[in-house]
Amino acid sequence: MPLNLVVCVKQIPNPDLQFQIAPGGLDIRRETLNYKVNGADEYALEAAVRLKEKHGGRVVAITAGPKRAETVLREALAKGADEAVRVAYDDPAAFDVGRVARLLAAAIRTIPHDLVLTGVQSDDLINSATGALLAGLLGLPHASVVTNVDVRDGGLEVTSELEGGLQRVASMPRPALLTIQFGANVPRYAPLPAIMKASRQPIKEVASSEVSLPYTFKVRRLIPPPSKGGAELIPGKADEQAKRLAQLFREKGFARG
Amino acid sequence: MGADILVVAEHLEGKLAPATLEIVAKGRELAAQAGGSAKAVLLGHGPEALASELASYGLDVLLGDDPALEAYSGGGYAQALASMLAASPPRVLLLAHTAQGYDLAPALAASGDLPLVTNCVDVRLEGGSLVATRRLLNEKVQAEFEIGSDRTYVVTLRPGSVKPATPTGAGAVARVPMTIDGAKALPRFLRIERPEVSDIDIASADVVVSAGRGIQKKENLALVEELAKRLGGVVGASRPLTDMEWLPKTRQVGQSGKTVRPKLYVACGISGAMQHVAGMKDASLIVAINTDPSAPIFEVAHVGVVGNVLEVLPALLKELRG
Repeated sequence: MPLNLVVCVKQIPNPDLQFQIAPGGLDIRRETLNYKVNGADEYALEAAVRLKEKHGGRVVAITAGPKRAETVLREALAKGADEAVRVAYDDPAAFDVGRVARLLAAAIRTIPHDLVLTGVQSDDLINSATGALLAGLLGLPHASVVTNVDVRDGGLEVTSELEGGLQRVASMPRPALLTIQFGANVPRYAPLPAIMKASRQPIKEVASSEVSLPYTFKVRRLIPPPSKGGAELIPGKADEQAKRLAQLFREKGFARG
Repeated sequence: MGADILVVAEHLEGKLAPATLEIVAKGRELAAQAGGSAKAVLLGHGPEALASELASYGLDVLLGDDPALEAYSGGGYAQALASMLAASPPRVLLLAHTAQGYDLAPALAASGDLPLVTNCVDVRLEGGSLVATRRLLNEKVQAEFEIGSDRTYVVTLRPGSVKPATPTGAGAVARVPMTIDGAKALPRFLRIERPEVSDIDIASADVVVSAGRGIQKKENLALVEELAKRLGGVVGASRPLTDMEWLPKTRQVGQSGKTVRPKLYVACGISGAMQHVAGMKDASLIVAINTDPSAPIFEVAHVGVVGNVLEVLPALLKELRG
């Protein structure tokens, strides 16, 4: 039973870096940002490619973003996606998740899909909303924080992670949408020939459709998070810091001596 | 459009989720701003006892009772809430940003064509607008978004953002008649699975020394293990390490792992993403070692060392060995 798989991927600024607020306070400074594929989306892509390898079918990777976002689509092609689609959306910040989800939904409606996969969250905006928004917009049943997917006759059995290490197992028909959790699998590395091939593959570009939103959205301001006091920092080089820490652990009775 | 705030209670296996009491507290605040009252909705099958417990926090509880709501399903809960919203649309529908909350809120907002904002650390009403405070980019940027709509705002609030409500006298419990199409209560619940317990329980340790991506290689865990031993504690980990299987899942500290409240928590090379911090912020003394001075772990830590954990730990062990 071959599956038509659609996987949503997003290009994000590497969240391990430091950020500065742009003049005007409505975005971060983007001139020197280093972009990467969103972490959870790598697991979603891997899940899609593995389902294709097991059951047959096709994987379409889709993103909404500016031209630079093609990089993450080429990575997806190199790792096993068959086709890549970019919804041209030039807002570099894309803070309004409702708008992005509607743009993606409009494009996904034109692509055959038995299963739509997204990452559980994007590490830049941390909304955990795109997947379930898409499910609502497309009228698909969905499951979130998925760590395992088994394809059954006509449907799926999925395992979702809950708080506190519990898992919920549930069944659902296809088509469906799943948001994939970090650690759901071990994403593969792309072999060099596949990277070379992906660099020459066409990427389908579709224009942003007109979306009608039930709200207005405005960024009021971005600021560095107000400090709650924060840590008392121990100054000095590693050996000086270590000396002070050891002293602290002794004073508090956690270490002898 | 009403002025009430409707808080969606969450429960599992007969217990209210702790985050539910937090959204009750926030719901009251929002109700004061909207000029309405905060109410809670509790969905399930035969959950009267829970409904009374929730009402003891001083708000009216709307009880949706149907066999198809016995266990949570996005499809079942969405049907129940959609019928309640249609009958009497609140100003804000407030949920906790938990695995259940962010499963449900966006789907409900999309199918009902309602405005949505998720994972807020704070939220307030200003006139007809909703102002949401959110954290972006690994807690390094705070954003305020203003959303305007004459429709019900669907909002999720990050757990741990506000103090939970305390019992303040009983509200009323009212049953709300509803018809749920069981065939659309998807996904269909099969079972809850628990991790097999064959490891120590890090939640019961007085000292937890946790390792994060900053330790770079699995071999370097030896440093963390020795420190834990010297301090009479156990080794914990942030999620990336258990995902890579450097340590068993039982050692994971955070929202999807264990919540720990030790006397001492040492975070070694952990940046402090929200999902980790949720599991350790209540430790009595938190010491963090990380190379990135802007890492959010330094916000929650009491004592911080900005430095490479692979240099600081060997030096520290040398000191402690005496």
